[in-house]
Amino acid sequence: MMRQDSNDATEDVSLFDTEDETRRKSKKSKIRHPLACFFHLFFRVSAILVYLLCEILSSSFIACMVTIILLLSCDFWTVKNITGRLLVGLRWWNQVDDDGRSHWIFEARKPSTQGKTASSDSESRIFWLGLVICPLIWVIFFFSALFSFKLKWLAVVIMGVVLQCANLYGYVKCKVGNKSNLKSMATNYFGRQFFRQLGKKDPKAMKDTTMLPL
Amino acid sequence: MAEVDEASKPLLRDLKAVGKKFGHVMYPKKSTTLLRDWDLWGPLLLCVTLALMLQGGSADSKEDGGPQFAEVFVIIWFGSVIITLNSKLLGGTISFFQSLCVLGYCILPLTVAMIVCRLVLLGGTGTASFIVRFIVVVASFGWSTFASTAFLADSQPPNRKALVVYPVFLFYFVISWMIVTFSPSHSDGTTDTGP
Repeated sequence: MMRQDSNDATEDVSLFDTEDETRRKSKKSKIRHPLACFFHLFFRVSAILVYLLCEILSSSFIACMVTIILLLSCDFWTVKNITGRLLVGLRWWNQVDDDGRSHWIFEARKPSTQGKTASSDSESRIFWLGLVICPLIWVIFFFSALFSFKLKWLAVVIMGVVLQCANLYGYVKCKVGNKSNLKSMATNYFGRQFFRQLGKKDPKAMKDTTMLPL
Repeated sequence: MAEVDEASKPLLRDLKAVGKKFGHVMYPKKSTTLLRDWDLWGPLLLCVTLALMLQGGSADSKEDGGPQFAEVFVIIWFGSVIITLNSKLLGGTISFFQSLCVLGYCILPLTVAMIVCRLVLLGGTGTASFIVRFIVVVASFGWSTFASTAFLADSQPPNRKALVVYPVFLFYFVISWMIVTFSPSHSDGTTDTGP
């Protein structure tokens, strides 16, 4: 706002900048699904907290274990069925066809659907951070339980690792499947460039390259 | 609140699927519905219930039956994974998770037997109660084995059916053994282990 007063040229630039900024900000800061974001983090964080604090919270091993198992399975269900679809537009599931063979399907929402269905930056950041960090913590728990011979905890820790890594793997697969389209597009593009370079002797191709700004 | 609607739809769908599969186990007929859409929610539920019931009310005691609780988990999941691997190695056409699903859901009769046993044990722990429990557990053991083989054996070549059914038999046998030998008396005695 200060710069706007200085002169006309910068005013134009700053106006453009602020407009762009506000637009980007509105895309960035908007959390359209606060409930989904909350539950995405709530179940997995509280499972980890219960695991860490169970010695303090309750003396009963079984109560802790059942709580953690419930939280982990709630988390698995929520992340697989709800938050992935709402927050980043990805989903994965298993389907058994008529021959009895099972297929894993990894799906990403088409980026063409703009507006209401498009996911915002902060939502996808929350989603991916939660998705990646929690399995890492469970892997650390696994090794600490293994090397301190807390064998009775090992079962629940293995369950945590398996459930969270399954979700992570599923969504990474969705994302990579999405990217591979981009990659093939990119290779196509570079391939075209390459052929253009090769065909420099060709006058038509020459004209093409001269039209490039560089 | 639209989110709640969006969440409740898949939740209802999954709950319905789990309920339908429970029905299929209790009334096993040659049907592939149990195999078509697998899920592991039912097995998890049954496994937790069974493990909790096998604790004998020691859940609040200081001296934990913790290893025992985890043991039930490990036996059920590790056991079904091993059986599944076995049937895969024998050349079964069923997929890994489908087999896990069937084996897990077929614990249902044994879980019901466990509930009945707890009720009978409330009445008393004499010979008569043991006989009743024994009969109930044997019946549900047969039921479990029959239901699971009805679903699993189709996926195998006919000359190998026995090889697949044998570990299934052992698996349910171990679980029923845990149920028959369960008596809450030893867990009531945990009061004297404390200082």
